[in-house]
Amino acid sequence: MAEKYRLRVSQVTKLFPGVVALDKIDFAVKSGSVHVLCGENGAGKSTLMKIINGVYQADEGQIFIDDCPVRIGSPADARRLGISMIFQELSSVPELTVAENLFLGEWPTNAFGKVNWTQMRKRTLQLLREENLKYSPETKLRDLTVSDVQMLEITKAVSRNSSIVIMDEPTSAITQKEVEALFDKIRALKSRGVSIIYISHKLDEIFRIADEITVFRDGRAVEAHPASELDIDKVISMMVGRKLENSYPKESVSLGAPLLEVKGLRGEAFRDVDFYVRRGEIVGFAGLMGAGRTEVMRAVFGLDPIHAGTVRMEGKAVRARSVAGSIRSGIAMLSEDRRRYGIIPVRSVRENCVLASLYRVIHGGRLHKEQESKLVTQMFGRMRVKTPSFETSIQALSGGNQQKVLLAKWMLRDPDVLILDEPTRGIDVGAKYEIYRLMTELAKEGKAIVMVSSELPELLGMCDRIYVMRQGVVAGELKKEEFSQELIMKYAATKAGDSDTTGGTHQ
Amino acid sequence: MISKKLALVVTLVLLVSFFVCGSAAAADKFRIAYVARAQADSFAAWLANAVKAEAAKYPDVTLDVFDGEANDEKENAMIENAITNKYDCIIVQPNNGEAQRPYVEKVVEAGIIAITTNARISGIAGSSTVDADPYMQAKVNCGLAVSQVPQNAKVVVLNGPPGNFHADERRRAWGREFFEKRPDVTIVGEQIANWNKDEAMKFMEDWVQSNSVIDAVVSMNDNMCAGALEVVKGNPKFDKLLAYGVDGTAEAVLLIQEGRMTATCMQSAYDLAELLMSTANKLLTKQEKQIDTDIGNPLITKDNVEKFVEILKAAGAL
Amino acid sequence: MTQLKMGEMWAVVKEKYSIFLVLLTLFFVCSLTNPNFLSINNLSNISRQLSVTTILAFGETILIISGMIDLSAGSVLALSGVLAVSAFKATGSLTLAFTVGVVTGVVCSLINALMITDLRVPPFIATLAMQTMARGAALLYTKGQNILQLGRFVIFGQGSIQGLPIPIVFLAVIFAVTWYVLRHTRFGRSLYAIGGNEEAAVASGINVRLVKYKAFLFNGVLVGIAGVLFMSRVNAGLPNGAINFEFQALTAAIIGGTSFSGGIGTAAGTLAGAFIVGFLDNIMNLTGVDSYVQQIVRGAIIALAVIYDIWAKVRRRTRRTLGASKGQAP
Repeated sequence: MAEKYRLRVSQVTKLFPGVVALDKIDFAVKSGSVHVLCGENGAGKSTLMKIINGVYQADEGQIFIDDCPVRIGSPADARRLGISMIFQELSSVPELTVAENLFLGEWPTNAFGKVNWTQMRKRTLQLLREENLKYSPETKLRDLTVSDVQMLEITKAVSRNSSIVIMDEPTSAITQKEVEALFDKIRALKSRGVSIIYISHKLDEIFRIADEITVFRDGRAVEAHPASELDIDKVISMMVGRKLENSYPKESVSLGAPLLEVKGLRGEAFRDVDFYVRRGEIVGFAGLMGAGRTEVMRAVFGLDPIHAGTVRMEGKAVRARSVAGSIRSGIAMLSEDRRRYGIIPVRSVRENCVLASLYRVIHGGRLHKEQESKLVTQMFGRMRVKTPSFETSIQALSGGNQQKVLLAKWMLRDPDVLILDEPTRGIDVGAKYEIYRLMTELAKEGKAIVMVSSELPELLGMCDRIYVMRQGVVAGELKKEEFSQELIMKYAATKAGDSDTTGGTHQ
Repeated sequence: MISKKLALVVTLVLLVSFFVCGSAAAADKFRIAYVARAQADSFAAWLANAVKAEAAKYPDVTLDVFDGEANDEKENAMIENAITNKYDCIIVQPNNGEAQRPYVEKVVEAGIIAITTNARISGIAGSSTVDADPYMQAKVNCGLAVSQVPQNAKVVVLNGPPGNFHADERRRAWGREFFEKRPDVTIVGEQIANWNKDEAMKFMEDWVQSNSVIDAVVSMNDNMCAGALEVVKGNPKFDKLLAYGVDGTAEAVLLIQEGRMTATCMQSAYDLAELLMSTANKLLTKQEKQIDTDIGNPLITKDNVEKFVEILKAAGAL
Repeated sequence: MTQLKMGEMWAVVKEKYSIFLVLLTLFFVCSLTNPNFLSINNLSNISRQLSVTTILAFGETILIISGMIDLSAGSVLALSGVLAVSAFKATGSLTLAFTVGVVTGVVCSLINALMITDLRVPPFIATLAMQTMARGAALLYTKGQNILQLGRFVIFGQGSIQGLPIPIVFLAVIFAVTWYVLRHTRFGRSLYAIGGNEEAAVASGINVRLVKYKAFLFNGVLVGIAGVLFMSRVNAGLPNGAINFEFQALTAAIIGGTSFSGGIGTAAGTLAGAFIVGFLDNIMNLTGVDSYVQQIVRGAIIALAVIYDIWAKVRRRTRRTLGASKGQAP
């Protein structure tokens, strides 16, 4: 035991009824270092983190902090031991203010139990200043961006003098610029001697901050290595136990006539939006968070009202501005927020799958159960959905499988245009690949696909054309041969008038 | 936008209608506030209607009815409002005597004539009372039952809501004036049916299942008694069933006429209203300073039921 | 693996059918406790006693599944009932009386729907307002007095068809219709989707507003029918009758496994829930349990049902991790 470890987990086993979730895990984190955890969903990362955070108890094994054996019976125990976890789904209360959230559950009180607001405000101000955050203690959380909230969560951890900070997919919902800020913050924490456990699917990112990397597979810690000894390909092959040949299964398809045409679209958050998609084409929408990409797609799909403009399908105006109308015209949309606009959590995968095409299973005054099962079986086969049974509630599936069920839902409608808003957010490598594969397949069938994404590599890898949005307008359009990260960033981030963006098409 | 406009319109309409109603009251008449226990209680509603009708007979009086909604706090607020509005006389039908006592005292303190009724709140200096005595109402039934109920009879008892003055007093009378005098009688079922016909039906249906014989139904009001009789309607096994209630509702009078119910004690809302208004008039015209009075407790049986049928018909209740 | 499958299957059976096991157990216990319990008369009594609130419970089930609620059911029932009774007294027509009852229920229910969907009033508040308004209207219309001498009108609540009491026939038909609607119609699927996640339902192309109106329309018909049956059963037009019936109806739905958070519930569950309460009330009355004790028992049953529901969810969530890991395994 030459090295000094802040946290060490020895031979930890966790059993769930019928399944070994963790199998004699050994895992150690050094003081003042960033330890990255990789692995597909279900590999056991989250379970281990929940054990370290006191949410679950290990069935066997021991946890040591600074080489002292400890028992972590609850998240409160974990907090006392200096462990803070920043969750994938941020655990804040949107209706409360920054100050109230910072001290959530630990509000400073006087002898009578009354909350000491003045003290709380003062301490919040001080913390915000120390951490170089610009918002006021009175701001309500719902008015902050995801990244602001995340910074707040980190600040919360700092305020508790945590020596171990666990971050679960911290970059899944923030922009490139915000990622930089987050990494700066992580480096700053590290220099203060804080140990960071960082869970991520984004392999290109992790090498920029990792000191060490542990890969999980099927409930075992496959190997732990210093980051300097690894590269992306090695990590991927450790994760999946095999080598992925090609991360973007893009095939060239001959493009047909324009299918979806949008002209002069204006709404609350965007204006003068023109774009079109041809049969067989995958068109990307790039831009920073808040550039209006999601809003445009929601309006095209009929979820939000528009103030002006037209949406045409094969030259015919989509008249009924409602979701049902759009679906009838052959448009389908997979939302960026799977939990909010996608799944019906408590219902079965079967019901979720047929939700948009009930007419195919319920007709003639009754439900045709065999037909339903047949359709679902077909679709799940095609999407490679992994589910214990059709009756499992969809919330029980991993994010990637949920996404595949939702895709299956739209495939059952056999749409001509598929709008995919951040289709790969928060899902693991394997599922991502399946979704890319499916996009290619659909394009080959002559469907038109719109992909909104904040991950430039996947846009560059999958699209035939990319529109870039900035502040509610289409700032540029890139043909395949012009594709470059730099050009996209230039359109996305520079102010109007700084460059030759007014024309829309870049020559 | 549309909903906002709609809300505004609705609010305006409501406000205007309040003002129109409010300003209708005449200026130089005696103003009486009648604070009812609850319009949802059928006897209380009957009484309120009767008081309104009776007040119409006095040309120098206007009467406003307020609904306490069977809620002490609401009723107390109604009394306070009436004081603020400077009524000349406030009649209170308490929901719960002790809860309204301090508020009736406030009425007296404000120099306003206070009358409590059904049930009276006694012992407030300067306040008058008009009532029927619930103990007596049950007792007149007991007198009959002691001689009518067969030896070793099996009876069921239907109670009003616990804590209610009339419910408790009537049950106390049955205990003292009947069950103590007839130790041979067994109670095979006793439940709280909250004055309600439908609740009483449910209990009776269950009792009919678990008892081969039931000789008598002892009910604290007519509604519940009618409920019990509804269950055994047309069942020859219960042809001789005795049934006692209180209130003298139209339904009970008809049941007695048909021979299905044995007896009830008339708590006449008309008598009570008449006595209330004459008392109020005497107090308002300063003929007297304080009055405590009761209406009678006439027993209705098959022998005298026709007279009451006529009374109810004349009053339009039948 | 086989062992796991068996275990999971048992868990699914337990989760899906536990309410019926409870009902069955209760039925046997009651039969052994009191010999009168098992008589045809008593069982038909229980069904008749339950019919009105259970019919309301089916309406509530549909509404709760879609994330709404109706607190006005009892009051609207009273209003429908007294209007139906007076229509009968005025014309002597049973058909007209029945129609008036149903139409009244539907109108009040659609006003609820209007407030909830178009004016965006939360269902709890909208129907609470309707509760007060409908009760007020019933009292105003009758001047607080019971309407008597219903004559032939009692046939709805007291008559029989082929020896089957009419309220039980209504109950059976309405149960079948509710079951059918929830299981075999797009409307039913949409209800579950809206209650499970309204925004996702919208994004799937479901006309949420229309579905909510339909749900209230369905509820309104049931409330109207319940009003006619109730007044007919008690042989009087009681403007102050059926107070708090909505809570008895909600109790049946909740005990039957309908989840207050929406998206979960079945017609059979609600029926079972109603009968669990009915059997308990009945056996307590048959054996002469004190009124006050009965109230405590009834409350405890509700608490137990909800506690069970919550713990079932916790177990589901634990199995979720299991399901997810298993899904990845092959």
